[in-house]
Order: sequence, then structure tokens, then C-alpha cells
Amino acid sequence: MTTRFFQLTGTLVAALTCGISHGEEAVDFSDDIRPILSGRCFNCHGPDAGSREADLRLDIRDAAIEAGGIVPGNPDESLIIERVITKDRYDRMPPKGKALTEGEVDKLRRWIEAGAPYEAHWAYVKPKASAVAEKDGDDTSEASNPIDLFIRQRLEKADLEPAPPADPAVLLRRVSLDIIGLPPTPEEVKRFEKNPSKANYEREVDRLLASKHFGEKWAISWLDLARYADSNGYQHDDLRTMWPYRDWVVNAFNNDMPFDQFTIEQLAGDLLPNPTTSQRIATGFHRNVATNFSGGTKVAEVRAQVLHDRVSTTGQVWLGMTLECAQCHDHKFDPISQKEYYQFYAYFNQAIPEFEQKGVDMFRKFFIGEEVPYYASPADARRAQEIPAEIAHEEAKLDRKKPIALKGQTAWEKSFLAERRAKNVPWERFDAMARRGAQVLNKAPEKRSGDERQQVEALLFYDHPATGPHEKRIDELRAEMERIAPKTMVMMDTAEPMESRLFHRGDYTNPTDLVQPGFPKILHTPDADSPPNRLGLAEWLVHPENPLTARVTVNRLWAEIFGRGIVATPEDFGMQSPSPTHPELLDWLALEFIENDWSMKHLIKTMVLSSTYQQKSKASPELLEIDPANELLARGPRFRQSGELVRDNLLAVSGLLSRKMGGPAVFPVQPDGLWKDISTADVTVYPTSEGEDRHRRGLYTFLRRGNPYPSVLNFDGTNRSTCVVQRGRSNTAVQALNLLNDPVFVEAAEAFATMIEQFPGENCDKVTRAFQRAAARKPSDAELETLLSLYHKHNSWFSVAQVLLNLDETITKS
Amino acid sequence: MMTTSQPIDFFKRREFLRGGTLGIGSLALSQLLQQDVGASASSPTGIDTHFAPKAKRVIFLHMVGGPSQMDTFDPKPELDKWDGKSLPAELTRGQKFAFITPDARAIKSPYSFAPRGDSGIIMSELFPHLATVADELTVVRSMQTNEINHGSGELFLHTGHGQLGRPTFGAWTSYGLGSENSDLPSFVVLKDAPPNAGPGAWSSGFLPSKYQGTLFRTGDKPLFYLDNPHGVSRQERGDVVGAIKQMNSLAFDRYHDPEIQTRIAQYELAYRMQTSVPELADLASEPEHIRKLYGVDQTGPGADFARNCLLARRLCERGVRFVQIFNKGWDHHANIYTALPRSAQGVDQACAALIIDLKQRGLLDDTLVIWGGEFGRTPMVQEHNAGTGAKTPPGRDHHKECFSIWMAGGGIKKGFTYGATDDFGFGVTEKPMHVHDFHATCQHLLGIDHEQLTYRHQGRDFRLTDVHGHVAKEIIA
Repeated sequence: MTTRFFQLTGTLVAALTCGISHGEEAVDFSDDIRPILSGRCFNCHGPDAGSREADLRLDIRDAAIEAGGIVPGNPDESLIIERVITKDRYDRMPPKGKALTEGEVDKLRRWIEAGAPYEAHWAYVKPKASAVAEKDGDDTSEASNPIDLFIRQRLEKADLEPAPPADPAVLLRRVSLDIIGLPPTPEEVKRFEKNPSKANYEREVDRLLASKHFGEKWAISWLDLARYADSNGYQHDDLRTMWPYRDWVVNAFNNDMPFDQFTIEQLAGDLLPNPTTSQRIATGFHRNVATNFSGGTKVAEVRAQVLHDRVSTTGQVWLGMTLECAQCHDHKFDPISQKEYYQFYAYFNQAIPEFEQKGVDMFRKFFIGEEVPYYASPADARRAQEIPAEIAHEEAKLDRKKPIALKGQTAWEKSFLAERRAKNVPWERFDAMARRGAQVLNKAPEKRSGDERQQVEALLFYDHPATGPHEKRIDELRAEMERIAPKTMVMMDTAEPMESRLFHRGDYTNPTDLVQPGFPKILHTPDADSPPNRLGLAEWLVHPENPLTARVTVNRLWAEIFGRGIVATPEDFGMQSPSPTHPELLDWLALEFIENDWSMKHLIKTMVLSSTYQQKSKASPELLEIDPANELLARGPRFRQSGELVRDNLLAVSGLLSRKMGGPAVFPVQPDGLWKDISTADVTVYPTSEGEDRHRRGLYTFLRRGNPYPSVLNFDGTNRSTCVVQRGRSNTAVQALNLLNDPVFVEAAEAFATMIEQFPGENCDKVTRAFQRAAARKPSDAELETLLSLYHKHNSWFSVAQVLLNLDETITKS
Repeated sequence: MMTTSQPIDFFKRREFLRGGTLGIGSLALSQLLQQDVGASASSPTGIDTHFAPKAKRVIFLHMVGGPSQMDTFDPKPELDKWDGKSLPAELTRGQKFAFITPDARAIKSPYSFAPRGDSGIIMSELFPHLATVADELTVVRSMQTNEINHGSGELFLHTGHGQLGRPTFGAWTSYGLGSENSDLPSFVVLKDAPPNAGPGAWSSGFLPSKYQGTLFRTGDKPLFYLDNPHGVSRQERGDVVGAIKQMNSLAFDRYHDPEIQTRIAQYELAYRMQTSVPELADLASEPEHIRKLYGVDQTGPGADFARNCLLARRLCERGVRFVQIFNKGWDHHANIYTALPRSAQGVDQACAALIIDLKQRGLLDDTLVIWGGEFGRTPMVQEHNAGTGAKTPPGRDHHKECFSIWMAGGGIKKGFTYGATDDFGFGVTEKPMHVHDFHATCQHLLGIDHEQLTYRHQGRDFRLTDVHGHVAKEIIA
């Protein structure tokens, strides 16, 4: 075989792309060669100068040639071939792990024979408009949605046919779960079944996109990225008020805030001109970081950990880049130097001090960073305006210098302690005093510190008939203020830029060279007037030249709907990531997203209107064998719902779900003692909610990092200690126990049983209707028979309700 | 060949193919592929390991807080001379401490040490029961870690990394070797009080969540949601699960989704666990002499630990791969000479009992038992409360430069002491065993090459030992 032949065939096959493999296929750098170089060679011969061996780097063509590693056109002269095929175990490369396979060596040979052409990694090159979509642009046939064109083109190559459309009831349930995370009502299903036309389907999609529940559904995965939680994490795991940020996310989704604005407000809302409260609350995104405030940690150490987390999260969420790999040394696989890492870090290292050591020694640390008050309603905002004046009014009436109080101090102290010992002090009074540190009264006056003397005076004022009522009123007003105007953490930078240094081996105690804010050279350069702060960073991320942000974002939205990303690793688009299954589709979606003003609703609508989405999800045995993961989408998506949505769905089916939106996190029933299991926490009592707050959507459940709500955790939710780009989708016995025996789901089954009993008609009608609530579609005769015979055996609708709430189909999007 | 009636968990397999390194991950592969065939497959016979394993399972007794090495397994007579004086500045300069300063004065140990058993392993008087099984132990005096705080130290000991997010040793073991009993989780956690790192100390990190430790609670209901709803009989529950199975089978005909068959199997397993787990936790079924051996009926501070040790043995007998036990109360910043004897007494009898009992059942040879804390303590005294600054009776601060642990069974040398520290118990002088080395060694005993068991995450092949770790061959029998 001659070189010429290979080059010729290469061109032909490359034009067809991704064909079925035939013996002598051309070698493609991105598909065939980079994975070998990156996976087997770059560890010692890649971008990281620190770990580079023998001065040989293979990630840059010129360098590889200069060092003799590669002699284009001549594999036998190329060092890398010699070293991977040698039988000498000390010379053989790679030194660890298995030798390269014959196939891999053959690919390398043929690639070198063909001149060893390198290609830029696709993800670092801007998305390209594709001929596929344009060619059929005017086509009004059923495959007019460009998504279908790309998907079908690929199916044809694999000799596969798309599946027929899903049944209307199943489709409406699917799209309802995808857009608002709640099942359709039986009435909605009936209405749609009467007219399941294309136009009517689109009307249903529009209705769902306009629902206020849309934001609640799509916020969940964003909050995973934002590592949103209601506590600090680690040892003390103190509580924090971040729910105003969560509500901001829900509202932003509901208002279809363009993703570029969505980005800028969350990363740098505080740096916009005259920022609104809402824009400042949006910056809670990066105040969500878990913080380790335990005993011996140092303030500088906490800050470094928090900033590293901000860098890593930003990289994963917007760039699909694993920047954190360059924290201690140059990145091993992707072209990011350690210096570039710290240049990126420098954007975040402008933040004002956010933590402080309090107390005599180093036992506890606290947040001191910026906070803003948040009002749930205009009435609360008005009331918050009045309260300071009322406090001032009470203060004015309160003369703390009144000599009567001070003169009587000793006598008062004695009588209070005596009363307490005699247990004559009413509990209410004593509790209030204890909260103010009445224990200090046990200390002899001459031994009290300055702080303690002030504390005793304050106690006296609080207890004294002349001053007490005013003090108590002030307390009430302050408590009211805290309730209606909770403070939430936001970002703020120092007035003057702060200097940043590279940390040797990532150790914050070992700073070395000064670095300026800047971006990895492999990506586009920012505009000349880009400010060297987070605003500049955010604008750079959504800059039209940025090759990653749009792709990474559409890939995540795609994965949420279709169950799997076009790039299977949504957090990593780097050299080590698997190639996209549909690269042109990915680019098309990215451009469509940008052209439509970064509208997430538009993008989601485009996806769910595709025929690809609307296919039946049934897989034939043959198809399962060819494409078990449904990468090619010859069938509709089918997978289990997330923990929050399993809960929402079961509560909705049983009629218990509260549709109340927003506000402080809630505390649904959970097993006793979970909060006691948090090592040195101050708050160990779980304040179980009353009333409708027990049945709110899962999104609103209080997320205590130290021990999260079990029924979310059991279904692969995490403690949100770090950014979670993709949850697992496990299938376990603990999940079965959870759904069968958790009091919350038992209560749902009881409510559902009562509902079933009250349905009109014969038992058979009752069961049919109940089944439709759970699965949307009508039951088959066999299904009906199974449920009826269970009912007759135990004469219990509860059993039937339990079965329906535990069906695979009920917790799965089918 | 796959047929539609054979449930193959494609998602997990795909996840594996994505995550595990093909070929060298074949260890995990063999088990994964078996476990993926519903819950019925439990045969451990097909497990491939990199080496012939000496240990098949692990019981890790974590003394949360960090026991003092100078008062337990690493006698320092020289320290008596330095009592009340600052240690040489060149030793302490630049070292990190949690609460004390480098010039804090040294404090000697008040305990007597003596050689124990035929092997003459040296222990302080604090462990009279353990002394009777000294000839089964290897004491490692040269442990080292990177962290000086509890949360991060615990994470480092279990994951090789000081922050949340990495898989624990137990999760890696579960991922690599699976369980020998499909009715029980492969990685079980028992505690008398929670560690500082919370569930991070048994997390699966970036591994699939099924590899995380399952926390068994003290008492006869170790898992949540084991009990049927009030008024539902076992019979009725069986019928409900049976109906779910029938309905899900019909759904399988409709969708052909292999996940449905996995779910059927998981519901059947859940039903079995409702009886098998309480039965397992029923320590009353143990004979009197065994209960006495462990001291499970005592009411003292060690009662929960004793029960957890006995439960650990029952779990191991049933094929659980990794049992992690946490015992709290070893953080002796203050009042160490009242508190340490109490902590030691709380675990001494049960530790010895565990070794005796495993041995008499022929389980010790392939069960690796590990005892130790997340770090050691300073030879220097701490005399002030870190929070209030108030003066306290003497204690010792956290120390990462050296600490002592012991191991037994599972291919470990018997009656052996490894590594040495300086005259003060401040730093290692011979054969350091960093936590990464400890992990590499333990994995080696389990038949795993620590450089080869990897998982692809964020574009990189991660392993328990990160880029470190050397197997301490010398402690292997």
C-alpha cells in the first residue's frame, strides 16, 4: 500500500465521516491519534513542563518534529514508533500500563506516513454553520426541524430507522415532566388526546413553557452547578440564608433571561453600573461555596479553598474545562499552564475579605463578606422601611443611663439568682434571660471582664420593669426585621485591585510570581476595554468569539432532555473528552442559541418539537444491542427522574403537592436524629414543617450539607459540597425501601387511596382513573387485572395506591 | 449473548465504560458485569485481581480525634528529660499546629510501657486486653499525613485528599471488588458518634453513588425505611411487591428498557432486606460467651463500640467487603490523662475480642483489621481552651508528622513493629508510611495494584493514591 493511496482514501472517507469501519480507513487526528497521544503520552510528553521527560513534547507538532519524536512521512525513522514497538522492557513506552495495541501502532504509522497532520482540538475552534441544516431549510416535510436532519443523517449511516411517534398521552406526560417537572392532569391528557396535531402539541409546549413551574424544574440542575445549599458544610455546618439566590434562579428561568445576561448577573451583577438588588443577589452563585470553618483552619486557607472552588466551578459550568488540574502544575492534557490558572484565579482574588476569625483563639470563623436584605413582597419592603423608626422611637423612651437601674444592680442580681434557685422565675422570663447569657451572673462581679460587665447591664435593662418593656419591643422589632428582610450573601470586590501570585505546587502558604488577570491563550482574546475584574471575565465567557460557552450550555440542556450529552462528559470538553456523537448538531444548536438571543426557552422548545424527541421510547432487542445507551436516538428518551422530581411527581399524583412558590427552605418529615449526626453543629434539631410546607416541591427542601434529606440523596442527589455537572442515575434496593416505607410516601399513598375510593363508578373505573393519574396512559387489560386482583385480595385501596406510586413507569420519564 | 429477558444494566455498564479504564479496570469489570445482572448474581469466584489477594475484606477502626502516639504505642523515655522545656527550635520551626505555638513546652507520658506477647511488641499499660493478642499485630509507628484539622484529616485518611469530593478507601474497595453477598451492601459504616467530616468520610466521591458506604444505625433497625407502614403485614407487602413485579414486567414488554428489570430485582432485594438486615443486627442471637468476650452488655462508654465490633464480624461473615467503624473521643486537647485512659478502656476489650473471634472462626487470615486515628498528637502540651482561652488541665494538640496505628490479619506480619520516630515522637526517622503508602499497602493486600485501579473523572484517571504511594512490603507476611 502506498502513502498516496492512503491519502486518497483518507479524503474520501473523511468526507463521509464516521462511517462503519472498514479495514483500511484513513486516520483522523482528532478521532484516532489525539486520544492515543493524550491518553498514553501526554502525562510525560504533554503541556506540563514540570513533568516533561526527555525534553520531548508531543502536543505541539513542531516541537515533536524538532525533537525527532516524529519524522513526517517516515514512521520507521520516528522515535515514537521505535519506542512503542520495542521489546526492551526498559525502553518501551509508555513505561507503565499496557503496551500500545497493534491497531494503535498501525494508526500512528499511517498518520506519520500521511505527514503527521495535527488539528486544533475541535472544542477550541468556534462552532461552524453546517450545510445539513441549510440544505433542507425550506423543506416543510415532517423532518423540517434541523435536529431531525442531523439525527437522521447519522441513523442512516448506521442503517437504522427512527421509531414511530409516541402515543399522545405518553408524549404529553414526557414533555410535561421535561418542561415543568410535573405530570399532566388527566383532563389535560384527555384534551390532548382529542387533538394530538402538530399545532396543538406546539400549543401545549407553549403553555408549559409559560408555566411558573418551568423555572422550578430547570432551577434544580442549575442549583447543582451552583452548589447551592442552606448550610456551610464541614464540621460545624452552620446554617446560611441563600434561598433568595435560589428564587432568583427560578425567576430568571421563568422570565427566560437570556443566558448571556444570566451569566453576567451571576458572575458579576455587583459590578454592573448601579446594580439592582436582584443583580446583587444573583452573585450568590459564587457565595454558595462550602466553607470549612473548623477549629484549626486559617482564614487565608479558607479563602484560597473558596477561590479555587470558584475557578473550578466557573471552568466546568461555562467552559467545560478542568482548570483545577492546573492548580499545582501545568495541565497534563489540555493547553493550560499553571500561570494561566492563577491568571484566571486573579479575577476572583479581588473579593473583599469574606471570613473572619472571632473569639479569643481560632475556634470559629464567620462570614463578614457583603450581604443584602431580601424582601419577599412589596409589603415587606415597606414594613422594613418603618421598623428602624419604630426602633428609634423605643430607644428614645429607653433611658439606659437611668441611675435607678444601675444603683439597684446588686440587689437585682441577688434577687434574680435567688428566685432562679428557688425556681420561682417563670420559664419564659428565664429562657429569655438565658438566651442573653444569664449564666454570667454566676461569676463574681470583680472577676467579670469589660464585655461581661456590659452583658450584665444589658440583662438588667432587659429584666427591669422600667426598661424591660422597651427592650423587649426592640427585640421583637429586630426579630421581625430579620424575618421580613433576611440577609443573603453577595459578591463584592475591593476598591483597589489586589495582587495575585502563583502558588507553588498550589500551596497558599507558598506564593511566588505576581500574575495579572488573564485568560488561557488557547481561547480568544478579550476586547481591549475588557475590565480586569469579574465583569470582564463574565463578558469574555459570553463573547461571540468564545467557542465553548454556548456549546457547553446547549449540551447540558440536551442531556437533561435526552438523557445523555452530545458530548458524554458535559463537565469536560478537553482533550481527554470523548468526541461528540453529533458534532455538527452540537454546533448548530450552539449557533441557534446565540442567534436567538441566548434564549433557553427557545432552545428547549426547539428540542421538544423535534420528531427525534417525540419518538416512542421502546427499544427493540436488536437496537438495544447496537445502541444500548441511545446515543444515536433511534428511539425517544427514557430514564428515571431525579430525586426532587420523583417526590414532586408522587405528591402531585396523590393530590398532596403544594404549589406554593419561593421563600425560605422547608423541612418535610425526615427520619429522626439526622441533624444530631452532624459532628459539632450548633443546630441539631430539625424543625419539621407544619401544614402545606410539608408537601412543597423538592426544590424547596432545606439542604443541610452535613446530612441532606435522605430521599433526595438516595436518588443520586448530592450534598452539593462542590459543583455537580451530572448526577448519577442509580437503581437500588434502598430506593425501593424509600418509596415503599418513607412516611412521606406512605402518606401520599394514603391520600391517593382515599382519592381512588372516592372516584365514581365501578372498581374497574376507579383503577383505570388511578392508573392514568400515575402513568398518564390507559392501563392494558392485564395491568387492570393485576391491580384489581390485588385490591380484592386485601380489600385495600392503599395497597393499590402503593403499587401505583412504586411503578417504574411512575418514577420514569417514558 | 444478551436476550431481552436477561436484565443488563446498560446505564451502569456505560458508566463503567466511560469511567473505568478499560483493560486495567478489568478487576472492577468482572464484578460490575456480574452485579449488573440484577441482584441475583453474587458469585465472587470470578473476581480478577492484580495480585493474589491476602485479604478479602477490611475492618477499619477509626479512633476519631487522633490518639496520642507517645502514650500508646511509641514510648519516648527521652521525653521525660524534656518535660517542661521547649523542644529544639530547629525541630519545630515552620511546622503547622492547630492551636499551640512551636515553643510550647514538652510533656512526658505518665504511662508505663512493656513488651507484650512472645513477639515483645511494646504497648503502654492502657491496653491490657489488646496486649494478650500482641502477637497478631503489626504496629506502624511512622504514619504521616498532610492535614492538621479533624475534618480534613479524616478525609485525607479515607480519600487521600483533604477536601470533600474524592472516593473513600471503602468506596474504592467496593468499586474494585464488589460484595460477596447480593443481599447486603458491600461497604457498611458503623459509628458510635459521627466523624467530623460527616458522610464525606464514607462518600463515593466521583464514583457512582452505589459504591458509597451504607450507614448502619445502632440498634435493631440499622437502615431507614425497613419497617412496613403501620398495619401492613409481611404477607400484604409481599403481594404489593409481587404486583409491582407483574406491572413492571408488563411495562418491560412495552418499553424493553433493561432498567425496568433491574428495578424488579431491586424491589425483590428490598423485600428480602426487610428481614435479612434486622436478623443480621440481632446481637441477642449470639451466644453468651461471645457477648461477654466483646463486652456488648456493658453500660459504659465502650458499649456501642463493642456492639459495632461484633456486628462487624457478623457483616464480614456474610460477605460484606468493607466495614468502617468510627469511635469518637480521642481529641485530647485538654485533660488527656483523665480522658485518654477512658477512651482506651472503651475500645480495648472489643478490639482484642474482634481479633480473637475472627481468628477462632478462621476469618482473621483474610480479614485486614486496622486501628488508628486521622493523625497523632504533639509531644508538646496544650494548656488553653482554643475557643475561650481559659486555662485547662494539660492535653496535646493535633500532629501530622508522625502517629501510630496497628494492623492485624489479612496478610499482615504477626508481632511486628514498623518504622521509628525521633526521641520526642515528633518526626519520623525510619521507614515513613505516609497515608498514601498506607493506602497503597492496604490495596496491595486486597490484591489491587494501587496504580492500576483507576476511574476516569474530568478527563483524568484518578486513583486512591493520586500520584503517590509505595507499598510497604516489609509489613506483609
